[in-house]
Amino acid sequence: MGIQRDRVRFNVGGKIFETSATTLANAGRNSMFGAMFDENWNLQSSEVDEYFIDRNPACFSVLLDLLRTGELHIPTNIPEKLIYREALYYGLLDHVRASKFGQFDGNRLKLAMSVTGRAPGDGTAIRAGPDGGCCVADGSMVHVYDWMLEEHPPIHLNYQTVNDMGWIDSENIVISACERLGRGDGGMGLFSSSTGDLRYKFQVSHENQVKSFTAGALSFSSDYRIFASCKGRSNEYGIGVWDHVTGQQSDFFYESLGWSLGDADRLQWLHERNCLLVATLFPRKDNCYISLLDFRVKRMVWSWSDIEAPVTVVEKRVRDAIAMEDTSSICVVNEYEDLGFMDLRREGGCVRWSSRSRLMKGKMPDEPCCPKLALHGGQLFSSMNDSISVFCGSDWVLTSRLRRSYGGSICDFSIGGDRLFALHSEENVFDMWETPPPPII
Amino acid sequence: MSNSKRRNFQIEAFKHRVVVDPKYSEKTWKILEHAIHEIYNHNASGLSFEELYRNAYNMVLHKFGEKLYSGLVTTMTLHLKELSKSIEAAQGGFFLEEMNRKWADHNKALQMIRDILMYMDRTFIPSTHKTPVHELGLNLWRDNIIHSSKIQARLLNTLLELVHRERTGEVINRGLMRNVIKMLMDLGSSVYQEDFEKHFLEVSANFYSVESQQFIECCDCGDYLKKAERRLNEEMERVSHYLDAKSEAKITNVVEKEMIANHMQRLVHMENSGLVNMLVDDKYEDLGRMYSLFRRVHNGLSTIRDVMTSHIRETGKHLVTDPERLKDPVDFVQQLLDEKDKHDKIISLAFNNDKTFQNALNSSFEYFINLNPRSPEFISLFVDDKLRKGLKGVSEEDVEIVLDKVMMLFRYLQEKDVFEKYYKQHLAKRLLSGKTTSDDAERSLIVKLKTECGYQFTSKLEGMFTDMKTSQDTMQGFYASQASETGDSPTLAVQVLTTGSWPTQSSAPCNLPAEILGVCEKFRTYYLGTHTGRRLSWQTNMGTADLKGTFGNGQKHELNVSTYQMCILMLFNNADRLCYKEIEQATEIPPSDLKRCLQSLACVKGKNVLRKEPMSKDIGEDDAFFFNDKFASKFYKVKIGTVVAQKESEPEKQETRQRVEEDRKPQIEAAIVRIMKSRRMLDHNNIVSEVTKLLQPRFLANPVVIKKRIESLIEREFLERDNVDRKMYKYLA
Repeated sequence: MGIQRDRVRFNVGGKIFETSATTLANAGRNSMFGAMFDENWNLQSSEVDEYFIDRNPACFSVLLDLLRTGELHIPTNIPEKLIYREALYYGLLDHVRASKFGQFDGNRLKLAMSVTGRAPGDGTAIRAGPDGGCCVADGSMVHVYDWMLEEHPPIHLNYQTVNDMGWIDSENIVISACERLGRGDGGMGLFSSSTGDLRYKFQVSHENQVKSFTAGALSFSSDYRIFASCKGRSNEYGIGVWDHVTGQQSDFFYESLGWSLGDADRLQWLHERNCLLVATLFPRKDNCYISLLDFRVKRMVWSWSDIEAPVTVVEKRVRDAIAMEDTSSICVVNEYEDLGFMDLRREGGCVRWSSRSRLMKGKMPDEPCCPKLALHGGQLFSSMNDSISVFCGSDWVLTSRLRRSYGGSICDFSIGGDRLFALHSEENVFDMWETPPPPII
Repeated sequence: MSNSKRRNFQIEAFKHRVVVDPKYSEKTWKILEHAIHEIYNHNASGLSFEELYRNAYNMVLHKFGEKLYSGLVTTMTLHLKELSKSIEAAQGGFFLEEMNRKWADHNKALQMIRDILMYMDRTFIPSTHKTPVHELGLNLWRDNIIHSSKIQARLLNTLLELVHRERTGEVINRGLMRNVIKMLMDLGSSVYQEDFEKHFLEVSANFYSVESQQFIECCDCGDYLKKAERRLNEEMERVSHYLDAKSEAKITNVVEKEMIANHMQRLVHMENSGLVNMLVDDKYEDLGRMYSLFRRVHNGLSTIRDVMTSHIRETGKHLVTDPERLKDPVDFVQQLLDEKDKHDKIISLAFNNDKTFQNALNSSFEYFINLNPRSPEFISLFVDDKLRKGLKGVSEEDVEIVLDKVMMLFRYLQEKDVFEKYYKQHLAKRLLSGKTTSDDAERSLIVKLKTECGYQFTSKLEGMFTDMKTSQDTMQGFYASQASETGDSPTLAVQVLTTGSWPTQSSAPCNLPAEILGVCEKFRTYYLGTHTGRRLSWQTNMGTADLKGTFGNGQKHELNVSTYQMCILMLFNNADRLCYKEIEQATEIPPSDLKRCLQSLACVKGKNVLRKEPMSKDIGEDDAFFFNDKFASKFYKVKIGTVVAQKESEPEKQETRQRVEEDRKPQIEAAIVRIMKSRRMLDHNNIVSEVTKLLQPRFLANPVVIKKRIESLIEREFLERDNVDRKMYKYLA
């Protein structure tokens, strides 16, 4: 191909741009440019010496620069949203997103934005979506934001109190909510994240009768199963399992006596072990119960409870738990942000607490917040009051602490789509933390 | 900036919703619809991509996505119906070509339509959970073309017909075939499976069922296998050329089932060409083919293995029980080795060195070698033969190979202790008569036996070698001390054998001639003088002597004879005629040995230094013997053999057997005591099984004998019966 043929001339909204076919090739086949210069359309050999595009030239200039360099620099006089809209037109939105933030690293996070919610002081949970968006539960409503933090229509189950929610993929969100007696409201539903439409509700059947129930914690497996802790009127206490493609209930694990599965605070699907971690914790119950369920054999294959622990350790009450499959252990945290570890390979072991807490004790605020744990790419995250600590390495050394001055303590946080979202409880605000793209040199 | 200034409150008219031109959507869609028509009509060069893209964008932006989408479905369906008509109209062989061409057209059009509707594909379709444009295009093609009533069956039949024609040797257009099959795969694996693969497998099964029946009626086993292999390769090739790779396992399964699994027994047992014939005739290629084909089907290899095993057992049994073969032990063992080599070669060349086949071969050999109780003796004799003469001029490596082969046969033996007995006897004879050709080979075999059976097994054999060495030193010492007074007295070579290490047949010593006796006495004094606390007794039945004799015409010869023969011949220094009784009296040689010696001195042609009257073959008690001065030989040295059956005679065999049984007794007892010492209490059946297991490496213990040994141990108060359960034995410490 000669030099002449590599040159491309555009007239965008009256302004002339010259670029090369090579630069445009960076846009990929799935973009307007990819289609435009496909041999099907015979454009390259035609006699036309320039191509007209009826769009905003200023934005085109920014996006052309993105194709040339892979970097996004938006002049201050152009709103970011305008760029997003134009990128969507050309099919370059993925390029824009990739240039905005890099691969997630807990030790390199920068606060990118704070978003104020609608109903102050009511935020209960936040979940990061797979493509960088998030959803926030505000009492009985869930507000959905895409990765550009554009708000989508909110979703709800007849305004019943939302207990948990989760992204199945970037298009679908599952919400679990409290039941309302006799009305069949609440329960669990699958929603479209872009339109907010309810696609279907998940039902619990007991002896071929559909029962109304309260759905609690949620977890998903890679083979399209959805798990939820369920509380019904009579027998429907336990863990329900549904297929999210069909929406049909596929299994139900009835809770054994004294083991409050239906009240679980946290469910976590363990892919390698092919079983589900269920944790029911203080203060929902007076004692903490953690177990692993194997649905193939319908059995609890591992369990732990502090019911027999001496009363003196009351201060070391497990508030959150997370299983780490790489090390075959469970990490737990108490209200003083002490981390504790349990071995999954041994039945009936006890918690080995790390002794970091003494440093913290003096600084406790009057109203301690519920600590949360998360695991991402070998890094352990734990929220406490108004900060999130990052732990790395086999000994879980504290390597970073994320903190912001306003908003009060963090009541929930979530990692996904290369971003970390933290929801504050006092001011209804959530923060978005990103890893900046790597430096040029 | 204007809005930084505080603005005055203004009353504005109530804002109505912006109304777009009601015809707008209709107009825009017409443009796009026209474009889709033009694309299908190969007339796209006049279209402006940018304009179409923008129009599609605007329709979605102004909430006419639904109209755009349904318009697309309708328009595309319309065009597909037209394509379908043109495909249906295609005659005969052009049907597939037309379909392929239209498929290519549709794909290209679909791509272009998708290009202009890209914005809808990216935004409207995911949020409304509709089928994306590309997939929609494939689904519509599937429903309007592939599943059209006039096409579906015709397509399937055409494809199957082409496959059939290729199977019968015709050349078909594989490229076209590949494109059409690829189309079915593109439409989804279920379309490929339901609309083609399922039927293809069915038809193939019928085809091969019929064909295999024809083949098996008219081909021999080798040819059949060749044909089956070729068919299998053809099918694999077919898959690689124009079918889905996942079909390979399925179609080969069909061929395997129809051509191999269904006829396995018949093939293996086919008269004149089956497996047994292949084994007999060493048909490595056919056997290899059978192996590689049969291994593909369930129970295939075990079928081969079973037939091979029973064949080897049958021939082996025949080999070891054929009375003709028992006459020559060396040949007998050589036959076994040849048989083993033959099958080893088959397994390595044709059966991929399959471990299970090797195991089957080994167990077969173990089975039939032990059918003949004389196998241990024969194997020892074979070694004896090899070590006596068979290894002359053979390189060291070859010696090792022969010995390794012998060891392999040895491993099959159950009664290893019987072998040991014979080996000891044969080794003793070799050593004493100085017949071993290679000391290295002897020692090498001992080492092999040692690694196989442990130190215990060979300690006595090694003792024999030590004795030989010590005796040499002793003799040197003796002659050094006697240097002055030897004179012309006979030269004596004594081998001092440790009692117990050697197989001794206790026999009374004969009377030695006076000349020898003198030297012997000198040696005895010397030996007992250097070693205290020892006893020497002469084993006259085992020695040899070299005699110088002068015959008629002054002919001189050196005679190599046994000690007994020497004693007899020495008598003739003083007499020319002696009768049997006189000789017996003078020498006191046991009658059986004496007869044998005389026979070899008087009755063997060319070596008859004595003459007998009457001239019969056998020795009678009334016979008379003369010095034969007519004796002549062209050799100076004459070796007079002893008429000794190389094989054991029947009574000797009995004796050896008895000795073996006798030797086993203490071993069985030791095993019982060892087991009871650790178990303290055990019932009868368990003792028997454990003792058998413990002794397995040496011999197969007879349960009756074990029972007798237990009884004997009870008598000697090593064990006692339990008071309650009489079947239980207790160990008494």
